[in-house]
Amino acid sequence: MRASFRPRLFIDRTIRKQSCFVIRCENCVEMLFVRGSGNCVQCDTPLRKNNFRVQLFEDPTVDKEVEIRKKVLKIFNKREFDFSGLREYNDYLELVEDTVYNLTNNLDVENTKLRMEQYQRENRDLIQKNKATLTREQEELEELLLLEQQGNEQRRLDVLQEEQRQLNAKRKNKQALLDELEKSQLPATILLAQHKVRAAQLETQIEHQKQTVKPTNLFSTGIHMRQTVSLLPAPKIEEVLYRYQPLHVETYGPQVPELEQLGRVGYLNHVRAAMPQDTAGGYSSALACHRAVQDAFSGLFPFKRMNS
Amino acid sequence: MKLNIEGLLVYFPYDYIYPEQYSYMLELKRTLDAKGHGVLEMPSGTGKTISLLSLIVAYQRAFPLEVTKLIYCSRTVPEIEKVVEELRKLIEYYCKETGESNNFLALALSSRKNLCIHPEVSALRFGKEVDGRCHSLTASYIRAQRHSDPELPACRFYEEFDAVGRQVPLPPGVYNLDDLKDFGKRKGWCPYYLARYSILHANIVVYSYHYLLDPKIADLVSKELCKKSIVVFDEAHNIDNVCIDAMSVNITRRTLDRCQTNVDTLQTTIEKIKETDTAKLREEYRRLVEGLKNANVARETDVYLSNPVLPDEILKEAVPGSIRTAEHFVGFLRRFLEYLKSRLRVQHVVQESAPQFLKDIFDKVCIDRKPLRFCAERLQSLLRTLEIADIADFSAVTLISNFATLVSTYSQGFTIIIEPFEDRTPTIANPVLHFSCMDPSIAIKPVFQRFQSVVITSGTLSPLDIYPKILDFRPVTVASFTMTLARTCLCPLIVGRGNDQVALSSKFETREDFAVIRNYGNLLLEMSAIVPDGIVAFFVSYMYMENIVASWYEQGILENIQRNKLIFIETQDAAETSMALEKYQEACENGRGAILLSVARGKVSEGIDFVHHFGRAVIMFGVPYVYTQSRILKARLEYLRDQFQIKENDFLTFDAMRHAAQCVGRAIRGKTDYGLMIFADKRYARADKRGKLPRWIQEHISDGSLNLTVDEAVNLSKHFLRQMAQPFRQEDQLGLSLLTFEQLQSEEMLKKISQIAHQT
Repeated sequence: MRASFRPRLFIDRTIRKQSCFVIRCENCVEMLFVRGSGNCVQCDTPLRKNNFRVQLFEDPTVDKEVEIRKKVLKIFNKREFDFSGLREYNDYLELVEDTVYNLTNNLDVENTKLRMEQYQRENRDLIQKNKATLTREQEELEELLLLEQQGNEQRRLDVLQEEQRQLNAKRKNKQALLDELEKSQLPATILLAQHKVRAAQLETQIEHQKQTVKPTNLFSTGIHMRQTVSLLPAPKIEEVLYRYQPLHVETYGPQVPELEQLGRVGYLNHVRAAMPQDTAGGYSSALACHRAVQDAFSGLFPFKRMNS
Repeated sequence: MKLNIEGLLVYFPYDYIYPEQYSYMLELKRTLDAKGHGVLEMPSGTGKTISLLSLIVAYQRAFPLEVTKLIYCSRTVPEIEKVVEELRKLIEYYCKETGESNNFLALALSSRKNLCIHPEVSALRFGKEVDGRCHSLTASYIRAQRHSDPELPACRFYEEFDAVGRQVPLPPGVYNLDDLKDFGKRKGWCPYYLARYSILHANIVVYSYHYLLDPKIADLVSKELCKKSIVVFDEAHNIDNVCIDAMSVNITRRTLDRCQTNVDTLQTTIEKIKETDTAKLREEYRRLVEGLKNANVARETDVYLSNPVLPDEILKEAVPGSIRTAEHFVGFLRRFLEYLKSRLRVQHVVQESAPQFLKDIFDKVCIDRKPLRFCAERLQSLLRTLEIADIADFSAVTLISNFATLVSTYSQGFTIIIEPFEDRTPTIANPVLHFSCMDPSIAIKPVFQRFQSVVITSGTLSPLDIYPKILDFRPVTVASFTMTLARTCLCPLIVGRGNDQVALSSKFETREDFAVIRNYGNLLLEMSAIVPDGIVAFFVSYMYMENIVASWYEQGILENIQRNKLIFIETQDAAETSMALEKYQEACENGRGAILLSVARGKVSEGIDFVHHFGRAVIMFGVPYVYTQSRILKARLEYLRDQFQIKENDFLTFDAMRHAAQCVGRAIRGKTDYGLMIFADKRYARADKRGKLPRWIQEHISDGSLNLTVDEAVNLSKHFLRQMAQPFRQEDQLGLSLLTFEQLQSEEMLKKISQIAHQT
């Protein structure tokens, strides 16, 4: 609460070289800048009255920092999808943070400013383009807020409608009872009892309705109606394309004849021929023979390995 | 006694069993067979704990591959000790019957404060201090420093444990907190870390709710417990409030001021380190850039602070670039802090949602959502890098960073309420920012998802269907058990009118009504004349109690009561209350008789049992509704209505009735016990209130005892007390409410038992 008893303090928004940072109370500002501008008492920089604004925070340095940050962020407004990866984006964020830090703490102001200008020149188009768009996070937030608002509105309407409906039903019921009492021949006690039952039924009915009414602001796909679909390009991944290379196995043995040639060369002469039942599963005697030959041939030239 | 529960051999350590215990075990077994969750209500004092334990232990032995561990959660340390004692009995019985030596490991786990054996550290009074000191002795970087400088103080128990304790598993047996301490002293090992290490291979773990529900602690302690565990929440009627408290944050102006000094300290420390040891900061920076998870860096003693959000919500990403370096992060904290300060400077109440807050914070101080989400983790890393020994001092900044992470992670189920002053004192500025969780299912959801069976049980869980609703889970069994009684030993009476026909009620309009207050006084006076020994009276709030007692004093009623019995009063001071309780018990013991005036939702109503002569009658003055004007409650009610279709009034009544049932349930702690339960408010007679009492109380409310005057109630009570005062032996109970093994075998009895469970 302390803050509310303080006089309204004003701070200056111009970014300056010297470590001078002006805070004044309302009267001083009025007095000093009768003509709209004047010089700083400490460092003689010309100051303008409309560059002063109310101090928001208890710590004036925070006020100053936020002011600078807003200015810097106007220039450094790249979004996450302007970068090829998260790492680069994070590095960029740190650069921004460094700039703000330097400007607030008056470290190396000249160079920092130069760098900022250079960046601005290089990225003029991008800055203009991004000015109009929100970041994705902000978009999400906006969306949530919108949903919340809609939900609240919907709820308010529902409650109103519900109340109206109940009121109507009750009134109707009452009128019906009066009418019946007027016209019917039955004794009043029976009518009253009937009325009571009917009223109870009405209550339960209303209860049921209440529970069945569900909000319908979803498409059947589960997407919220009026949802703004953000069209982000898929993240670019730069990799070397996969190239197929045929498998080459060094057997350290003589060349094994091809599967198709086995019969011709005569390997199959002493192999049991495949039965009709065997062939049903795709088996042929050449297969078994081929494996056996591979097995037999591999590793026959052990000296070859030694040589290499 | 060896029981056969649907084909499962269960050893039950007593010679007799209550029929409802048998029924309870049946239901529990079905739940476990289905690998689902269950909600079971059984009256207090009917041996819920031992039934649970003996069935689950039997199940574990029969199917060691299906169920590897039982996690038993209770509320307080005395309750934990009670469970362990029951368990000890059971395991001893097993050893006796089977003749094998025990190979079961069961242990209790509690905070450092209850387990520490270090002579200096354990002498500290508050839990936080003990934690802080322990951390300053055992953190890994401090132990690393000790290599270069052996003069630094150390905890020899931890060192010893670290050196040899891990290789040797804790021998099988049942350990309560004292056993652990003894074992630790004998071996020279730190019992706390020993227990924390041992829960990984223990068969049964008994600890407090918070170790599972509070994400800040659960991440540390219960992270590696396996999926094939059974989780039991005992005394779980308040479980929704525990869940909500675990996720809520309150920030006052004082917190922010302390936070400011914390941030200043951080900054000076960073500057100091920069001059002496830049390598350390650079190392941290490198780690953050690489996005390494700190899991492989942190050791068990270091993770003092943990992330407040639930495990699956934590981002598996590198820390954003804007808070990567230490100075930037401190600047970030400063901005966040100043923003909070400016928010607390409001003149009127503000209520807003998390997205609104995030938008505003971006507009005001340019803080994005993403760095906010990483705030807790980043602070953790910084504190570790700066090697700050006494972390207890940094509780304020930790709180703030937790808040930052929570508010940016969850966009639903939370609300932010900023109140510039308390409602009762509108002239004194005391701004508070409540970040309150409205959805208890958020905190408990990972528990339901992770473990195959979760059992929620208590003496008062009525109406049963509301718990699955507000905790958002699908139970496979929902059952309520009644108490089989050889004699009706409880006598609920609803007193609706005074002798002068004035309606008795604690509703707001009649709070100041002298006629009502006088009639309440008469009720207590008359009861004090006829009820032997102790009476416990519950009021709806401290304020109401003060008012009533003051006007009883003026009307001279107190003086008359004091002729019959002494009067003790519960206050908000815990020490005073325990003193009052002690004296109350003394007065009951020596036959003078006493009355304890206490408050529903207070300490007495929750944890203290009034067995036998300590509570022969409980009088509930009024219906204990919560303070309905509170904004947090209103927001929660609204949320319940919108999300779960629970009407405001239903929830309020449910909440009031569960507390009323808790209060009156204090008097009956077993079948040989007896007690009057007097509900002194005419609203209890209504069907919607009565229907929300537990079934075992509801059964005994006859139409004749619905709207009594004080005189009628006194007559009925006299009759009841005279009957109950007759000697009551075990033989009277046998066969009806207490069964031997032979009796349990008969067809007829089994049929009867099957009716005890009331499914909903």
